[in-house]
Amino acid sequence: MTNDQSDKTFHPNRRGFLGVAAATGAASLAPGVLIGTAGLAEASEPAPSQSVDASASTIAAKLPSPVPGYLSFGPDEAGFVEVMVNVMCPADALTPGGVDCGLAAYIDRQLAGGFGKGARLYMRGPWREGKPELGYQLPLTPEQFFKAGLAAADAACRKRNGKAFSELDEGGADRFLHEIADGKVTDERVQLASWFNELVYPLFEQACFADPVYGGNVGKVFWKAIGYPGLPAVHSQDMVDFRGKPFPGAADPKSIADFA
Amino acid sequence: MATRLKHRTVVFVGGGFTAALAARQLTAKGVDVVVLERGIDRTHTAATSLPSQRDELRWDVHGDLFQDWSVQTYTLRHNDGETALPIRRLQAFKPGEGMGGAANHWNGQTWRWSESDPVLRTQLENRYGKKAIPAEMAIQDWGVTYAEMESYHDQFEKLFGIAGKAGNLRGKVQEGGNPFEAPRQNEFPQKPLPITEAGVIFSEATKKLGYKPFPLPAANSPEAYTNPDGMQLGQCQFCGHCERFICEANAKASPEVLLYPMLRNRKSFELRLQTHVLDILYDRKAKRVTGVRYIDRVTGEEYEQPADVVVLSSFTMSNTKFLLMAGIGTPYNPRTGHGMVGKNFCHQTMSGTRVFFKDRWINPFLASGASQTVIDEFNGDNFDHSGLGFFGGGYIYANVTNGRPITSRAVPPGTPKWGSTWKKANADWYAHNFTISAHGSWYPHRENYVDLDPTYVDAYGQPLLRMTFDVRENERKMSVYLSKKIDEIAKATGADIAPPTAPRKGPYDSQVYQTTHVTGGTIMGNDPGTSVVSPHLQHWDAENLFVVGASVYPFNAGYNPTGPLGALALRLGDDLNDYVACPRHL
Ligand SMILES: Cc1cc2nc3c(=O)[nH]c(=O)nc-3n(C[C@H](O)[C@H](O)[C@H](O)COP(=O)(O)OP(=O)(O)OC[C@H]3O[C@@H](n4cnc5c(N)ncnc54)[C@H](O)[C@@H]3O)c2cc1C
Ligand code: SF4
Repeated sequence: MTNDQSDKTFHPNRRGFLGVAAATGAASLAPGVLIGTAGLAEASEPAPSQSVDASASTIAAKLPSPVPGYLSFGPDEAGFVEVMVNVMCPADALTPGGVDCGLAAYIDRQLAGGFGKGARLYMRGPWREGKPELGYQLPLTPEQFFKAGLAAADAACRKRNGKAFSELDEGGADRFLHEIADGKVTDERVQLASWFNELVYPLFEQACFADPVYGGNVGKVFWKAIGYPGLPAVHSQDMVDFRGKPFPGAADPKSIADFA
Repeated sequence: MATRLKHRTVVFVGGGFTAALAARQLTAKGVDVVVLERGIDRTHTAATSLPSQRDELRWDVHGDLFQDWSVQTYTLRHNDGETALPIRRLQAFKPGEGMGGAANHWNGQTWRWSESDPVLRTQLENRYGKKAIPAEMAIQDWGVTYAEMESYHDQFEKLFGIAGKAGNLRGKVQEGGNPFEAPRQNEFPQKPLPITEAGVIFSEATKKLGYKPFPLPAANSPEAYTNPDGMQLGQCQFCGHCERFICEANAKASPEVLLYPMLRNRKSFELRLQTHVLDILYDRKAKRVTGVRYIDRVTGEEYEQPADVVVLSSFTMSNTKFLLMAGIGTPYNPRTGHGMVGKNFCHQTMSGTRVFFKDRWINPFLASGASQTVIDEFNGDNFDHSGLGFFGGGYIYANVTNGRPITSRAVPPGTPKWGSTWKKANADWYAHNFTISAHGSWYPHRENYVDLDPTYVDAYGQPLLRMTFDVRENERKMSVYLSKKIDEIAKATGADIAPPTAPRKGPYDSQVYQTTHVTGGTIMGNDPGTSVVSPHLQHWDAENLFVVGASVYPFNAGYNPTGPLGALALRLGDDLNDYVACPRHL
């Protein structure tokens, strides 16, 4: 059933995707070129002292490239997710855009792996709608749910905006995501707000802050941004020496790969 | 058909914390013990080795050490009128699996409960009058007093090398400790852990308000430590990967480090891993259990293990389920009030706020699971409840155990959920905030209980345990009260941002972690009419069946449960030695 739906929904989008694919290709060379020029989405934010674009591309230049290729996403899904992560994580003084940070790669890998296939999730019926406090109650694996929601969101986007999500400009895409999160976008079969808030958003946060070994947080860029020192976390002396003081290790975090 | 194995003396169902402590007493006397544990031994695995031990996604977010919900979960409804649904991924509490149980991936916050807790009903009746206790609040005394347990607490603290400062030595209140502490014979075996920056701020604020802050008693070893069994702990690294993780430095006192390696060297001890127990075998006429049936998870074969004595040590949920499945005792019926099995199911009432400081470096990653600073003024019956409309309370603490960036990061309220402003807020505040929380009690309510679900089954085709459970008025009122106290402390810290604490409300939410301190279901007491097991943890309806774990608590206090569980488990081991020598109602 999801296949039928996605067939109908995704056809025209495929062309759209080609454009985005080209664009993201470009964006990974120079973040902020096409999608997500830094600072635009959050205009109220006081501009950092240096030139935003310059510092963003300096960060990007020093970063390894995210793992290329997708395991779970088809082209249209990739197009949707790439635009989404670039909007949710625009290139700015702190990090490059979401795709360059590996956020799309992370989400793809999670959906293709154990989590996406429903590992550790109780999957027996009967299936009934439940109160929110009972949590997830659908017969879909997280990967299937992600895709069903994505298809429904894209269909809703066409209805509202006359174009696929991946064809919206940055402001439009950002607005649409907020509308989904706030429960303003509805679909007959998929509860889009819970899809976004309970599945997509946690994956986004994990993509930013999980160990880079999972494909996101490329070059520990988010850990550097917030000052999380990572590994090896052997702090019995630090705990006393740096109580109430800036911790020097925070500037140069280490991750699993650094000890492999 | 199950293969029938050779008869054994004592069989433990579940190889976690309580089983190990009771087995220690038994095998010291050479009594034959076999422990059946569904999980594996993780001693030399990714879970305990660098760098993989520090993987937040794997161990915390994905919960690779916890019970696998695809195999077995629980169903939930908020009242009798609803149809319960399975919690497909449970977040509210996280039972363990594997040699050592949940106490491998615990925080190590190690309390003795208050002196009045084991006699709670007596205490409240004496202080407020019999009528003051609402009819639906089925609190009761344990049938064993703190004084009878004290030496076991002492023994447990030495075995686990607990770090703390005595607050009450033989009746004399001690400066720097918990002035409300139950009297102890001896100081803690180790000095307290060093204080965190959050603890410094919390101490100043609470002292200003006239409270007496003290270091939380911790099972994170401040130094290398050798226990009376000759088992060793390393020094805590303040690694911030404590709760939900197994300690890489062997510094967290846990069964996996201190007990099982020793037990496995004892002649009369056998640990059978990857054995999922299905049933307790009950001879109704003789009123005795004859053994257990289990499935070998490696081969898929079924076995029957006959035994003289069966001990349920499989955590609150499984302990209760085994009794319901075997029909030992009568299931609780909330309408008539008859039956005891499944009654008095309780959890924990948590609430808290984040305080944000522009100019102070909290460095949340420099912390251990129990390196917290606490006040106990508003716990249990440490304060006057006259006119408050509720009973119970909790400790309030500067709650920093880690700075793990996926789940412990926080930004001030009102921050957008993504975009550059969100990123900048993370960068600005990550190292500059901490939580002040209340760890609140949960008293039983007539309508809160567990039984067998009529619809949903686990991977073995057995019914799931069903929780009929909600946050009732007593806990809601208590949480409002404690949350106000948190707000006063938060204000006194001088934080730049201190949003008001949201008190715990209903409906009970399976998706929000509280603690893994669910209690009740097989409660203890002096009267067979109002309890499942005796104060010696012996089943009233099957003399050779014993139950140990928080399922025997008639209510949940505002303290973490494992300290008294340690004492109860050691005492049970001694009682079992006595019983095996001369079987009878103890
Ligand atoms: C994340 C976390 C943090 C915690 N922090 C604290 C803390 O700071 N302070 C505190 O006091 N307490 C804490 N606790 C609670 C503490 O871990 C428990 O109170 C303690 O482990 C309970 O001991 P137990 O023997 O009853 O259960 P466990 O130690 O969990 O052992 C039960 C064992 O039974 C096994 N089992 C269950 N069913 C079966 C079956 N059918 N067949 C075979 N085996 C089975 C399980 O696999 C498990 O190994 C925490 C718990 C968790 C999960
Ligand atoms: S905080 Fe200390 S006790 Fe806890 S896991 Fe880390 S090193 Fe071990």
